[in-house]
Amino acid sequence: MITPRKPRRDKENQIPRKKRTCRFCDAKDIYIDYKDEKRLQRFVTEQGKIIPKRITGTCAKHQRQLVQAIKRARHLALLPFVSDSIR
Amino acid sequence: MDKTKRKYETTFIVNASLDDTQVDSVIGRVQDTITKNGGTIAAINKWGRKRLSYPINKKTNGFYVNIEFDAPGTVLALLERSFQLDEMILRYLTIVLDRKALKARAAAAVPPAPKEEPAPVPAREPLFAEPKDEKKS
Repeated sequence: MITPRKPRRDKENQIPRKKRTCRFCDAKDIYIDYKDEKRLQRFVTEQGKIIPKRITGTCAKHQRQLVQAIKRARHLALLPFVSDSIR
Repeated sequence: MDKTKRKYETTFIVNASLDDTQVDSVIGRVQDTITKNGGTIAAINKWGRKRLSYPINKKTNGFYVNIEFDAPGTVLALLERSFQLDEMILRYLTIVLDRKALKARAAAAVPPAPKEEPAPVPAREPLFAEPKDEKKS
C-alpha cells in the first residue's frame, strides 16, 4: 500500500527557497562592459570585493565576464580595490 | 605583412589639473599616434573629470577619455609606449572589441523597438456567477 503521507512530509521539511536566476541571462546581455560602473558596483561588497556567484546567482559564463569587467574597472579607478571606509 | 585591422577601444585618464585646452592637446597627440600609424578613429568620448576610486600618483581626480578605433596590431605597441612616456596620462587601458562586444554595441546603438504593451489581462469571468437577487415576487 502506498501511503500518501511520506512524500508530503518531505516537501514540508524543505526550506522554501526562491530560485535565483542569473541577472545577465534574464536581461539577455551578451557583453558586460567595464565602463558601466554603477552596474558593476552591485556585484562588489562594500569593501570592494567581488561577490561570489553562489550568492548573487550569476551563471558561470557571466561571472567570468563580470570578473573581467570588474578588474578592468579597477585598473581605471572606476571601482576601488579596497574601499575607503576600511582604510 | 599582415595588415588586418581590428577594432580596439582605449580608455585613458589625463591629469585633471590641466586646462581643457591642454587636455585637448593630449587627446590630439593620442589621435595622431593612431592615425599616423595606419589606424582610423571611430569615436571619441570624453567622460570628463571624475573622481578616482583611489589615488593615482597622489591625484584624486582625472579626466577620462575613451577612444574607439580600427587599427592594425602594430599601432598598439606604439600607442602604449606613448602613453607610458606621457606624464600627463595617469592610466590607460586598451582592449580588443571582440565579437560579443560589437554585437552588444550594435544592439545598444539601435534601441530596441518599444515593447508592446502587454495585452490587457482579460477580465476573468467570475468563477461563480453572483447570485442574482431573485426576489420572488
